[in-house]
Amino acid sequence: MTAEAPTAAQAGLLSCEACQMLSRPAAPGMPEYCRRCGERLQFRHYGSVQQTWALIIAAAICYLPANMLPVLRTTTLGDSEGDTILSGVAFLYATGSWPLALIVLVASVMIPLGKLVALAYLLLTVQFGSVESNRERTRLYRLVELIGRWSMLDVFVATFTVAMVQLQPLMYVQPGAGVLFFAAVVVLTMLAAEVFDQRLIWDSAYPHTERHG
Amino acid sequence: MRFSVIWIIPILAAAVAIGLVIQRAVSEGPVITIEFKSASGIEAGKTFIKYKDVRIGVVSAVTLSEDYSKVLVKAKIAKHATGLMVEDAKFWIVEPRISLNGVSGLNTLLSGNYIGFQAGKSPEEQRTFVGLDEPPTIRDQPGRRFILKARTLGSLGIGDPIYYRGLLVGQVALYNLVENGKSVEITVFIDSPYDKYVTPETRFWNASGIDVSVGADGIDVRTESLAALLAGGVAFDTPDYLPPGSPADENSSFTIYRNRAIAMRQPDPVERKFVLYFNESVRGLSVGAPVTLYGLRVGEVAQVGLHFDSVTKTFRPRVLVTFFPDQLVARMTARQQVEGGKALLAFEQEARIKLLRQNVEERGLRGQLKTGSYLTGELYVAFEYFPNAPKVKLDWTRDPLELPVVPGGFANIEAKLSSILTKIDNMPLNAIGTEVKDALAVLNQTLKDAGLMLKNVDAKLVPEGTRTLEDMRRAIGSADRVLKNTDATLFGKDSPAPQDLRDTLQEVTRAARAVRILVDYLERHPEMLIRGKTEEKP
Repeated sequence: MTAEAPTAAQAGLLSCEACQMLSRPAAPGMPEYCRRCGERLQFRHYGSVQQTWALIIAAAICYLPANMLPVLRTTTLGDSEGDTILSGVAFLYATGSWPLALIVLVASVMIPLGKLVALAYLLLTVQFGSVESNRERTRLYRLVELIGRWSMLDVFVATFTVAMVQLQPLMYVQPGAGVLFFAAVVVLTMLAAEVFDQRLIWDSAYPHTERHG
Repeated sequence: MRFSVIWIIPILAAAVAIGLVIQRAVSEGPVITIEFKSASGIEAGKTFIKYKDVRIGVVSAVTLSEDYSKVLVKAKIAKHATGLMVEDAKFWIVEPRISLNGVSGLNTLLSGNYIGFQAGKSPEEQRTFVGLDEPPTIRDQPGRRFILKARTLGSLGIGDPIYYRGLLVGQVALYNLVENGKSVEITVFIDSPYDKYVTPETRFWNASGIDVSVGADGIDVRTESLAALLAGGVAFDTPDYLPPGSPADENSSFTIYRNRAIAMRQPDPVERKFVLYFNESVRGLSVGAPVTLYGLRVGEVAQVGLHFDSVTKTFRPRVLVTFFPDQLVARMTARQQVEGGKALLAFEQEARIKLLRQNVEERGLRGQLKTGSYLTGELYVAFEYFPNAPKVKLDWTRDPLELPVVPGGFANIEAKLSSILTKIDNMPLNAIGTEVKDALAVLNQTLKDAGLMLKNVDAKLVPEGTRTLEDMRRAIGSADRVLKNTDATLFGKDSPAPQDLRDTLQEVTRAARAVRILVDYLERHPEMLIRGKTEEKP
């Protein structure tokens, strides 16, 4: 893209988020609604950065109990054992099923952490107005949004295990508090990715653009 | 920039996280360190400290001491058990333990080792302890310990219950071999208030499982309770006939008997030993088999052995029996018990020997082996009076006294059979055979003669007979004719006699009827005799 062509913002046009129709706002500062679909017209998500930060911080706070508290509590013959995510990984690796261990490690530890770091990085670059490697950042954002939901796989596995292994009194599994916090982490990061307006990445390339956020 | 509402979310998350941390911190009890010689089966995070079966703490770390000679076990104690961590609290590792001092902790094979705890009484708090190598022997419950002696441990184990009249009153604490290795000492702990029922006269017996004994008395099956059946145990009681005594001292020792019957039977204060020499097989006679008098038990077999007679250079079975006069006296009536007691329990040996001698020599008191159970072939010794027994010469001065015997039941049958066979053998079968032959010859001759006689009869007598028969026939024919005539004359169709007879009978009947009417009338009207017949009024 060359810098000569005017952006929609420079031309004073707004794109509807829902139906992508370009409209010209009647007057700056007044609330606008799309003529075709009725969706509220916004230049950028209002307070996107703030909201994204809030959600990321909340997710980070929840990340600690998610890893420290046990995810599953297995009771065998009256003897119960709690397993955190990391101890589960260690157990899987120790018992020889290292592909499973790898999957759990990636999906449950690396991805949420990676998402947090990626979003934080994006927010910082947006706020500091860096221009180069914007394209990579967009790609990064798309990646975050795409794989975010797959972290719920771990929660799904835990739930499934609890539902299946109910052989009282021989062996039964109960969910631990860690799985709640882990689900919270995944949900919060998904929300954070949703709330972050990726168009903000490109605003730094056009420093004179009017920004409403 | 306005702070949007969204910041509630992280604040909430932070609050929850901090709340968790605080809650954890507040509910944490103290951390203690216990020093052990070895950390067998102790795992950080997994091994618990249990007191009264409640988990009061969990091991957090297991490390070696600085000089690498001991193991330091760090444990986190639950908040509610903080007050237990005092100076003289004791810790030990509960694990399956087999040593000369006994077996314990077998339940940990399933659940994994844990650290046992015994509370102390000191008010001083302490955080480092030295663990014991073995479970402590002093319990913190009121009660008393006693030592039981047995030849073998049997099916007993640590923790086995002790019963008193069916109630669970204590348990086996530990057991060990005595120094010379010939018997086992079992320490039991009886809880109060039941420990006061243990007196010096108390008898303990093994109530484990099912006690099945097969003897000449039959099959005896006994169990204390279903629990004892499964878990085993020891029971105790004091015999009724003994006066109640004061409670026994702690650590007094008792013997464990095999079962209740034996326990309550002991001891008969007086026992006399006698020896019997048999001339038959004593297979099936076991120690403890009953000795009976007229079928009532008065003693038991003490020893079954072999005796080499140096005079005749033969072997003979030698049976040593123990006679309990008390058992005999107990069978008698109260009044006789006094007399019998005097005779049997009298301490003057002379009087006793005289009585016995009298019974043996004059009345024929003899011992005999009898089969107690045909199923198992168990034998027992029965004393009875055999008036026809052969006389014996006994040495009445030796000790133990020898009593005479007669052959036992089977031997008797054998003797009888053999005597029958001898009798049969002695029968003069040859002579008998010869005589029978002669008799048959005579019979033969007789038959021949009879045949001749018949022939004679046939030749001479028959023609006579024929003529006689002819005459008879003629006579019968005449008689027959006469009868026929008579028949025609008297009863023929037109013979007058029957008709006349009939008329006569009718007349007689009419006359009788008339007389009857007259008599009737006379009865009703007796005045007729005077007045005559009056007209009947209608």
